[in-house]
Amino acid sequence: MAFRYTMIGAAICIFIFYFGLLASLLFSTNLGGFWEALTHPSTLFSIRLSLMAATLATLFSVLVGLPSAYALSRFQFKGKQIVDTFLEIPIIMSPIALGASFLVFFNTPLGEVIQRKGISFVFEFPGIILAQFATIAGLATRLMKASLDEISPRYEAVARSLGSSSWQAFYRITLPLSFRGLLASVILAWAKAIGEFGATVTLAGAMPRKTETMPIAIFTALASANIEKTIVLILLLIFLGLVALYAVRFTGKMVRYD
Amino acid sequence: MIRIEGLTILLKTFAISDLYIEIEEGAFHFLLGPTGSGKTLILESIIGLHQPKTGKIWIGEKEIQNLPPEKREISYVPQDLALFPHLTVKENILYGIKAQNHPLKVYEGYVESLIQVMKIGHLLERFPTNLSGGEKKRVALLRALAPKPKLLLLDEPLSGLDPSIKFEIQQLLKTLLSSFHPTILCVSHDFEEAFLLGDKMTLFIDGKVEQVGKRDDIFLKPKTKKVAQFLGLRNLYRGKILGKDDCVERSQFEINGLRFSIPNSACQSRMETGREADLYIRPEEVMILRKGKPIKESLKRNIFMGNIKDILSRGRHHSVFFQEMGGNISFEISIPNYAFRNLDLSVGKQVDVALRDESFWVME
Repeated sequence: MAFRYTMIGAAICIFIFYFGLLASLLFSTNLGGFWEALTHPSTLFSIRLSLMAATLATLFSVLVGLPSAYALSRFQFKGKQIVDTFLEIPIIMSPIALGASFLVFFNTPLGEVIQRKGISFVFEFPGIILAQFATIAGLATRLMKASLDEISPRYEAVARSLGSSSWQAFYRITLPLSFRGLLASVILAWAKAIGEFGATVTLAGAMPRKTETMPIAIFTALASANIEKTIVLILLLIFLGLVALYAVRFTGKMVRYD
Repeated sequence: MIRIEGLTILLKTFAISDLYIEIEEGAFHFLLGPTGSGKTLILESIIGLHQPKTGKIWIGEKEIQNLPPEKREISYVPQDLALFPHLTVKENILYGIKAQNHPLKVYEGYVESLIQVMKIGHLLERFPTNLSGGEKKRVALLRALAPKPKLLLLDEPLSGLDPSIKFEIQQLLKTLLSSFHPTILCVSHDFEEAFLLGDKMTLFIDGKVEQVGKRDDIFLKPKTKKVAQFLGLRNLYRGKILGKDDCVERSQFEINGLRFSIPNSACQSRMETGREADLYIRPEEVMILRKGKPIKESLKRNIFMGNIKDILSRGRHHSVFFQEMGGNISFEISIPNYAFRNLDLSVGKQVDVALRDESFWVME
């Protein structure tokens, strides 16, 4: 019994630790100040900007990550192990280092050409998307690969023998079968993107009403001792994160074939 | 006619070299080989999922080895069946017809008759997760046959089934064959499965074809000891052909100093004097002689005295393990239950056994 209580006790301790932290936020604010900070134009801008940037960054990571995940899951090719290892780069590299690497890159001749003739990233909105994309693309690919790994390639083999091309077998069979896992991967990647700070602030800066995403707004509000705004933004981020996590759990129940 | 010529697959762990299979239209051909011999890989090469090093595949006059799987008109039922779990039984069945853009109306009658034969009319709206093992097999077979493939590939169709369902699927396959005449290539490691279903067999051991032939020929006349061992045959002995017996059509064969008189027709190739060969004694063709009963002249050539070392009941028959008096040879004798009861046999009892001409088979 002591063993059981020790283990459950540890789990409860973790819950109290995080819950206490959240409760302290509610304790330090009042409804009037909370509403005022929430409806402030700069707060609303940060919310809009964060939602937009995270959604676009997630979309781009799916566009690149899904085919990459499929390739890594189904095919054998030279350099596969290296590609697979590089998916971990955003995990082993600090977000600030990632952002700084982009700044260095945009100072190279190729980077300058992209900035001048293509899209301007440094201290601009596209910079937020790029920073968030860099942070989540590897993770999204890794998660989507895990979902695809769970689907036996035999289904596609049979579909192809029945007359489907490889593209048709992918979207008629593999995609619907792995849909739950892929959706969960997308939601988790989006949740990570919306909370991204280090790479974004380094590449896109912290310019109010321009590149100030919610995490960056928390940082600047705290620096200027605007506690109400800080708490509002923190609670909003937590709310969005919890909704995303609930959505991930929900995907596990939504498709049943019986 | 389906022809697979010179199929060679080289992998790190094993190689399949120069495989040749010829399948008559409407025939049920078995590719038999031990587990892990690359049978599934051969199927995948025929479908087009694996690129072999060399080899040609012909369906009629059409060479298909360079076509993608979807253009080959070869259906495939893998061992795990791979029924699409997100589609209903009906959607699974119609998948191939739709994927190949066949007009549904033209196929309607054919699919209906398949559904009737397979007895799955009541399952059409169900999802595969709600089907029993036997029902899944039937749906998978129907799905593969629905688009009228030129060749149907089956990967161990009776494996993992209870004996009753095995029998049911076996009967179903026989009905399918007689009603719809599909051309089938089936891989298996189970000779019993092949014996029950196949017309013709290709025996494939250690990456090479060891024997091709009709099922009875393979079972009764294995070409090599390797084939005999794969078939689970006991009573295999290495010996020497000594030369002609008193009769022109017979030869003497010696094992550990013990001589047998063997008809030349019981040899896979010519009985060459001095050559070493493997002898297979068919357990079901050996007789235990009853004391006092007259013996046919033809049996007198190969009579041996010895003791019973062991007796095993195998359900439908008994295996009696006989050791020749001089200890030169011991072999298994298979006796039907009714005969066993009449013989009053026990371990240690001294008996005379006669080896019929049909009990011998000499291999290379």
